[in-house]
Amino acid sequence: MGNAMLKLARAMAIIGGISLTILVILVCVSVLGRGANTFGHSSLLTGLAPGLADGLIGTGIGPVQGDFEIVEAGMAFTIFAFLPICQIMGAHATVDVFTSFMSKSVNAFIITFWEIVLTVLIVLITFRHFDGMMGKVHNGETTFLLQFPVWWAYAASFAAAVMASIVAVYCAAARVMGLVTGKKYLPNSEGAIH
Amino acid sequence: MSILELGYVSFPILLVMIFLRAPIGLAMFLCGIGGLYFAMGGPVMFMAKLKSETYSTFSSYSLSIIPMFLLMGQFATLSGMSTSLFKAAESFLGHRKGGVAMAAVGACAGFGSICGSSLATAATMSRVALPELRRYGYSGGFSTATLAAGGTLGILIPPSVILVIYAILTEQNIAKLFLAAFVPGLLAALGYIITISVYVRVHPKAAGTRERVAWPERIQALIAVWPVVLLFSLVVGGIYLGWFTPTEGAAVGAAGTGIVALVSGSLTWKIFVDSIIATATSTAMIFFIVLGAGLYNSFLALSQVPQELSNFVVSQGFSPWTVLVLILCFYLVFGCLMDSLSMILLTIPIFFPVISVLDFGMSLEHVAIWFGILVLIVVEVGLITPPVGMNLFIINAMDRETPISETYRAVMYFIASDLVRVAILVLFPAITLFLLPS
Repeated sequence: MGNAMLKLARAMAIIGGISLTILVILVCVSVLGRGANTFGHSSLLTGLAPGLADGLIGTGIGPVQGDFEIVEAGMAFTIFAFLPICQIMGAHATVDVFTSFMSKSVNAFIITFWEIVLTVLIVLITFRHFDGMMGKVHNGETTFLLQFPVWWAYAASFAAAVMASIVAVYCAAARVMGLVTGKKYLPNSEGAIH
Repeated sequence: MSILELGYVSFPILLVMIFLRAPIGLAMFLCGIGGLYFAMGGPVMFMAKLKSETYSTFSSYSLSIIPMFLLMGQFATLSGMSTSLFKAAESFLGHRKGGVAMAAVGACAGFGSICGSSLATAATMSRVALPELRRYGYSGGFSTATLAAGGTLGILIPPSVILVIYAILTEQNIAKLFLAAFVPGLLAALGYIITISVYVRVHPKAAGTRERVAWPERIQALIAVWPVVLLFSLVVGGIYLGWFTPTEGAAVGAAGTGIVALVSGSLTWKIFVDSIIATATSTAMIFFIVLGAGLYNSFLALSQVPQELSNFVVSQGFSPWTVLVLILCFYLVFGCLMDSLSMILLTIPIFFPVISVLDFGMSLEHVAIWFGILVLIVVEVGLITPPVGMNLFIINAMDRETPISETYRAVMYFIASDLVRVAILVLFPAITLFLLPS
């Protein structure tokens, strides 16, 4: 079970990472296209080699249409997809100085408590996000340039948010189990370095 | 209880939660929705807000610079650029007294120019420089302290993730902030080098010697650094000259370092996955804090606490300089306990309105940029102050032979150098601002 959850979290992170990589490439292509377009219109090239300049512009080279909107939509999905790995590795930023003076069992209790609260919150976020998505489905909102429905982006993020919720619920359950049995069910039960 | 009082009460509650080890983003989130609940007399407002708040935070175009810079830093650690930087610096400085440590600082500064994270800089440079330092007879605590301090250059020298967050919170121009951070960053490196030369005179046994490297070899080593120079000028120069937006600059940087890593042959699929996982973990951690901070700040804005606080400071007629010094001291103390990003997200919405109404004899934009750089430096000091200086832990974990108490002792010299630099930058704002177009 724990292994499967870790695999799920890693898979989500990799999917998010691939989506991030695609966005990086998309932005670079857009920058290059815009650069080539500017170069084709520049006085340097139109003066030196008007034929070449016309040819360059004639290829229709330019920035990727609506790259901005794709980055926003894709980035939302990416971040949602990154949540599970942070959750399962216990990598959220915390202040441990004061609790480090308390006993191990008190610490285990505190960590479990916050893990449960965090899980409730992530599930709440997922539900509210779903409501937000249904709102976008009903009002038919589309993006400005590419005119794709905004709810598509919400839906992709929602899928990732559901995965985050599943992993979060598992983490909370694993912490409770750990408290009861004294065994370790998560990779970083001592709290990670971030 | 009035909304304003709620705002004041929320702050100690938040701190108690954080000190009881609540994830910082979670604590801010809870205080935010709790505050909105009591202020509005019900859950309607925050439930409505949550419909789109998460999506709009995660899809923010200006925040998307963060995963891209983090990915760039991960690729940079794989690209072999850290090794060539260290070799080049070592060939020029290595033969001096404490020279290998100075070279480590120089290499950290170079690496900081393509990496926006202190922890990644400290970890990467340690892998390269720590064995060399030990080989030439540098003492354990001195070596680890040097690298921990050098690591902070990752954030001080642009690009810098913290400056991006500051720019977004205060609605300042990222390009100008990067430019302003440049000279203070170089000063930091210089300060550390001076610190090293003082340290080896106070503790002559802490450093060994190394023979001089011949000039042709030096030139060769210097030429090997070209990818770093190219990437830095392309990313930071391109952003500054307006060739592209900061997000585009980060994408270009990530792609560029990715290509360098690919060409160097170290970017296999397995290693690519490792860098993705590291990027994912830090990104999610940061965005979760940003999300919580966003909710908490919208509650604070509603309660008008920041406004009341700045009115109070102005009506009391405190000298602007006193207020500034108090705020910086606050960061120094809290930096010993809390990570820099959480601290910035938590406090800038409260402190910045206060600073912006005070008269420092400069334009508001200049005050904002100068204050940003000062805050950046003081929160980074927190990375090397005991007991929870993150850089110290990371490096000590890589050098098991050195007890952390030795690192603590040696790092005090570097902290002193940081404090001197902060004082200089407070007294002479022009050092930070002179590069900016008037």
